[in-house]
Amino acid sequence: MDREALLKRLMAADFALHETVLFLDVHPKNRKAMEYYRKMQAQREELAEQYRKNFGPLTYYEVKSGEWNWTDYPWPWQN
Amino acid sequence: MWIYDKKLQYPINIKNPNAALAKLIISQFGGPDGELGASMRYLSQRYTMPYREVIGALTDIGTEELAHMEMVCAIVYQLTRNLTPEQIKEQGFDAYFVDHTTGLYPVAASGVPWNANTFQSTGDAIADIMEDMAADATTTKEQPTISRIRKPLILLAFRHFEAFRKNAIPAIA
Repeated sequence: MDREALLKRLMAADFALHETVLFLDVHPKNRKAMEYYRKMQAQREELAEQYRKNFGPLTYYEVKSGEWNWTDYPWPWQN
Repeated sequence: MWIYDKKLQYPINIKNPNAALAKLIISQFGGPDGELGASMRYLSQRYTMPYREVIGALTDIGTEELAHMEMVCAIVYQLTRNLTPEQIKEQGFDAYFVDHTTGLYPVAASGVPWNANTFQSTGDAIADIMEDMAADATTTKEQPTISRIRKPLILLAFRHFEAFRKNAIPAIA
């Protein structure tokens, strides 16, 4: 998958996850929402891992190599 | 604390500069109903909110507003890239340009700089949530104006009104 396509899938997963977060904040006992959260969380983690490996870190916590590559990749508004 | 997630909430890929459009869109950054004010509103109100569920909603929505602000700034940035001096003048961007060149400055389309007078933080749960709903209802005003240009962005903001109406009010009732 190219960067653009993978990024779009990650954004979509993040959006679904965030939407569920807003619901869960005020409906913490809703089982169905919690199940959906866990499902999207796993999906998000998988996509994020794939992105990190191929296109660089998304947060500075993810800079795991011995080289400082946080600023090597373009910033999100640069294209 | 916050940590930066190095991506936009929704992709912004603008090919052609359009300073006239940027002059209008910038209001969604620093205007009276812009994303800067939205994020500061929720993130300021959360400290005195008496219910942890609502604090959660204010924290997570306030954080998302920062991401909206980033998208709006990305739009303005891309719309004002590679402008010629002629385009700056013809498209009415000269007044902004003389003060800020193409730097992102939080200002309304009318030219008024961003001001904290555009929101309240009262320390009263009901008053604050009512204000939050009124603020998110302003997206219905923006819909016929800006949303033709960036509909997905407006839809993002409008969801919060529904979130407050359906969730925050029952949570404290």
